[in-house]
Amino acid sequence: MNKAIFNPFKYVAGAKSLILGILIILITAYIGFLSNTHFPDLISIKLCSDFPVLYFVLQSFSNWLIFSTILYLCAIIVSTSSIRAIDIFGTQALARFPYLIAAFIGFSDSINKFAKYILWTSLKIGEPISLSTGNFVIAISLIILTFLLTIWLVALMYNAFKVSANIKGTKAVVFFIIVFIVSMVITGYISKYLFAKFS
Amino acid sequence: MDKKLPVTCPSCEAELKVHSLSCDSCQTTITGSFELPLLIKLEQKEQDFIIAFVKSSGSLKIMAQELKLSYPTVRNMLDDLINKIVELQKINK
Repeated sequence: MNKAIFNPFKYVAGAKSLILGILIILITAYIGFLSNTHFPDLISIKLCSDFPVLYFVLQSFSNWLIFSTILYLCAIIVSTSSIRAIDIFGTQALARFPYLIAAFIGFSDSINKFAKYILWTSLKIGEPISLSTGNFVIAISLIILTFLLTIWLVALMYNAFKVSANIKGTKAVVFFIIVFIVSMVITGYISKYLFAKFS
Repeated sequence: MDKKLPVTCPSCEAELKVHSLSCDSCQTTITGSFELPLLIKLEQKEQDFIIAFVKSSGSLKIMAQELKLSYPTVRNMLDDLINKIVELQKINK
């Protein structure tokens, strides 16, 4: 059971995972649009102001495509196995599933109030706001949940990479970290560009 | 109960050889020193994988469907098996 949660790619890959994964990315973007939750790089989850749905779709797709493309190029060079692009792109798309759950977090009034509270108390931005104990507990619980979802996402991305590229051990860890950092930088820049374009 | 053919010595873990073969029908016994075939040196699940691979005409897609595993998982199993066979061939040389 645990293995399937962290590594469903042992059973699902190729076209099936690609179709499922694209659906997940589209639904995540749409829910993000409704809840004002965006993903400005590979793993960040942030609340944002109103943007058109296209902003969320482009951001979600760029997060998936940038990472998968760099990973594919890296796998071609490093792996001795005959890897398929559809497996890399498909499994990485499916690995985005935890952020479909994360996209619902923005619907919480508590997390919105908590964000405004932090902005006011630490940076004096916005207006003074009081936060009830209930709201505080819910907000902290949701922050812990986003942290767990991020761990799940990274574990899924790593296992998807291991299965689809057949790279193991230290080599897998090192290349995954390199591709991850490079993708974080690129997706961060793309998100900044999208943010400026749609603001 | 199916008895497992030992391929390594339980005492020193060196590779075993065939010392004698006998005919159950006429009780003839042949003795000598014969190398074990490479395929017998593989684990049972690896031998089963090879049989399934041949039976599916070498199609990893068919194998993935039959084993209810993803295509890259089956391909990785095959890659691991190829590496093991290459290693065994190197040892035998």
